[in-house]
Amino acid sequence: MKVNNNIEYLVGKKAKLTSALEPFNSKIINLLDDLSKLLNNDFNNKNFPDLKALSFFCRKKNILSLKNKHEIKDSIRFGLGLLFHITPSNIPTNFAYSLIFGLVSGNSNIVKVPSKKFDEVEIICKSINHILKKKIYFKIKNMITIVRYNKNDNELTKKYSAICDARLIWGGNNTITDIKKFETKPKNIDIPFADRYSISLINSEKFLKLPEYKVKNLVKNFYNDTYAVDQNACSSPHLVLWKGKPNIKAKKKFWLYLNDLVKAKYDPPLISTIDNYSRLASDVIKNKNIHSFKSLNKSLYIVTLKKLYPNLFPEKTKWGFFYECNIDNLNNIDHVVNRSLQTMTYFGFSKKFLHVFFKKNNFYGIDRIVPLGQALNINLIWDGYDLIKILSREIEIK
Amino acid sequence: MHFLNHLMNQNAYSLDTTSKLLFFKKNLNFLTTFHYKRSSIYKSYLNGLNYKHNNSKNLSEIPFLPVRLFKEFDFLSIKKNQIFKTLLSSGTTSSSLSKIYIDKNNALNQIKVLQKIFNNLIGSSRLPMLVVDKQNINLNRNSFNASAAAISGFSIFAKEIIFLLDQENNINYEVLNNFLKKNYKKKFLIFGFTSNIFLNLIKKIDKNKVHIKNFSNAFLIHGGGWKKIEEEKINRNEFNKRLNIKFGIKNVKNYYGLVEQIGSIFFECNCGYFIASNYSDIIIRDKNLDICKDGERGLVQLLSLLPTSYPGHSILTEDIGEIVKDSKCKCYGHGTRFLIHGRLKNAELRGCSNI
Repeated sequence: MKVNNNIEYLVGKKAKLTSALEPFNSKIINLLDDLSKLLNNDFNNKNFPDLKALSFFCRKKNILSLKNKHEIKDSIRFGLGLLFHITPSNIPTNFAYSLIFGLVSGNSNIVKVPSKKFDEVEIICKSINHILKKKIYFKIKNMITIVRYNKNDNELTKKYSAICDARLIWGGNNTITDIKKFETKPKNIDIPFADRYSISLINSEKFLKLPEYKVKNLVKNFYNDTYAVDQNACSSPHLVLWKGKPNIKAKKKFWLYLNDLVKAKYDPPLISTIDNYSRLASDVIKNKNIHSFKSLNKSLYIVTLKKLYPNLFPEKTKWGFFYECNIDNLNNIDHVVNRSLQTMTYFGFSKKFLHVFFKKNNFYGIDRIVPLGQALNINLIWDGYDLIKILSREIEIK
Repeated sequence: MHFLNHLMNQNAYSLDTTSKLLFFKKNLNFLTTFHYKRSSIYKSYLNGLNYKHNNSKNLSEIPFLPVRLFKEFDFLSIKKNQIFKTLLSSGTTSSSLSKIYIDKNNALNQIKVLQKIFNNLIGSSRLPMLVVDKQNINLNRNSFNASAAAISGFSIFAKEIIFLLDQENNINYEVLNNFLKKNYKKKFLIFGFTSNIFLNLIKKIDKNKVHIKNFSNAFLIHGGGWKKIEEEKINRNEFNKRLNIKFGIKNVKNYYGLVEQIGSIFFECNCGYFIASNYSDIIIRDKNLDICKDGERGLVQLLSLLPTSYPGHSILTEDIGEIVKDSKCKCYGHGTRFLIHGRLKNAELRGCSNI
C-alpha cells in the first residue's frame, strides 16, 4: 500500500478521543444552534437550499424537540467514544448530518468528506471553525475533526478504522464492502447505510376526491420528494403503487399534474436524457413484466408493470423514471417489502391503519412509512437505526 | 450489401445532400428491417417501444440504439459461427465492455471504406508509419480492444510500422532515430491516440535525444478524444501549435469515430470540421431527443450503412456535437460538416444516500 500524505484538515488538527458525553449535551446543542444561526444569517448562503435545510435541522428548537421525542431520558448513557464517518461523494451536506448524529449522541468524530470539493463543505467547515474559537467550546473542540483525502488512500482509512469505536459508512454497497475490509477494534460497531430504494402507496379513490388545490399540493409534495434530489435519494420513491378501483383515472390525473410541474421547474443535465432512455431501452428488451410505458417528457417516464413479484427491484431509478403498478390486495405489498426497501410514502391511508397493517405483517424489510412529501426529512432514526441509542452505551445500575 | 458496391467506385464524398438523403433513407430503412428479422434482441427492442416499421420512414425516424446497450446485450444479426472478430470498447460510463460482433464481409467493407476515406486524405500510396503507442504483443486475432482495432485498422495503409513506445511505455529513441533517418525526407505518417500524442510527443520526448528534429514531412493522425488529457486544458489549436513548434509538423488531422459503429470514421478538414463520408451521417438531438437546428449543440446520433452483422446502423452516442451552420467549407467534397464537443459527463447527482 502506498502511503500518501495528501490529507487536508478542514476542521481540527488531530483526531483523538476526548471523554464521551451524554447524548443531547447542552453545550453540543448550543454549538449546533450557533451553527444554525451562522448558516442562516450569511446572506451568501441564500443560494444553497441544502444549507438552509441543514440550518433548520440543527437549530436548538428542533434538536430539543427530537430530544423530547426520544425515550432515553431516564437512563445513564454516554457516547461510544470516537466515530469515523465515511460520507458519500455526491451529496455535499451529508457529512454535516452524520457529524450532528455523532455529536448529539455524545461522541468524538472523524469525518471524511468527499474528495470532490463542494462549496457547501467549505462553508460549513468555515462556520464550524469560527464557532469553535469561542472559549465556551474549548472542551468540545477536540470532538470534531473533518478531513479530506482521496478515497483510494487506504492508509488513512486503515488508520482511522483501527482507532474508532464505530464507523458510519454512507455511500452505497460498494463503499461498504471496501470499508469493511479494514480491521477495527473488536467492539467496533459498523453502521452501514446501504443502497436502498423506496416506494409510494396512493389510495386512488381518496386521490380522486381531492379538490383541485389539494391535488396540486400533493403532486408538489411528490415532486419535492423526488425531483428535488434528481430522484436519487434512497428515500425518493421509485415505484408507485395504486390501491383501489378507479386507478386509471387517478394515474392519468396524477402524472399529468406532475408533468406540468416537471416541465415548469425541472432542468436536469443532458446525461439524464441518455440515462432514462437507455434504461427504458434495456427494460423493454429484458423485463417481461412491463404492461406499457409512457414518456410524458424526457424527465418523466412511467413504466406500468403487470404485477408485483418478489424482489422486484435490483436497480434504483433516477431523473424522473418511475415504475407503477396496481395493488388490489394490500397483502401483495410483501413482494416489494424486501430488505432493500427503505421508505414508503403514502397518501389516503390513516396512520393507524398502516400501523396495524405493518405490525401484523412482520415484513423482512421497510424502515420508514411517512406521508407523501416527507420522504427526505431526516431524523435521528434513519434506515431503521435509532442512531442515538446505537451510538451510545447504557450504564446499568440496579 | 449490394448498395455499397455502387458507392465503391466513387469518391468517398461524392454524394450531395439530396442524393445522400434519398440513398440513406432507402438503405437505412432496409437495414432496420434486415436486423429486425435477424436479431431477436433488436426485435424485442423495437416491439417494446411499439415502433411500427415501414420502409418509408424519414431519416430522423429511423430508430436508434443507445450505445450503452452494447454493454448489456449481445446484439447479433448473424449466426455465432459467422463471427469473424469481436471489437471491444471500454465505452463510456461504467467499466464493462461493449461487444461488437463483425463477420468477414463487414470487416472487409470496413477496410474498403477506410481506404476510400484515407485515399482522399493522403493519397493512395502506402507510407511509413510511426505509431505513438506500444506494440500489442499479445494480440488476439479475434478480439480487439479500441486501441488495437484502431492501430490495426490504420496499419493496413502503412508500408512500414514502428512503435514509439516500448512495453514499459518508455520512448524508444533508437527505433525512432532509425526510422527518421530512413524516412524523414519524404512523407510519412504518425498515428496515435490524442492523449498519447500529447503525453509523449508534445510533453515527454527529449528533443536532445532525437537526431532529426524536423518532422515537416509528417502527416499526423490522432483520435480518441480529449477526455484523458482534460486536466491539461489543451484545445485543438494549442495542440496543433505545439506540435508545429516542437517538430515543425504542419499536417495534423483529428478523427472521430465510434468503435460501436463500423463505417463511422470522420476526419477533420482544413477548416477544422469533421466531415461525413458517403457511408455515414450524423444527426444531433436535444434533451427531448428531438432534432436540433444546425449550429445547436446536442447529443450525437450516428448513422452508417456498413453494419449488417449487428444492428448498429443507427446509434445514439453519449457525445455532444453540433452540425456546422451555413458552412462554406468545400474540403474533401460533399458531406455533413460537424464539430464534437466531447463526451457527456457522468453528472454529479444530488441526493444519493439519504438527505
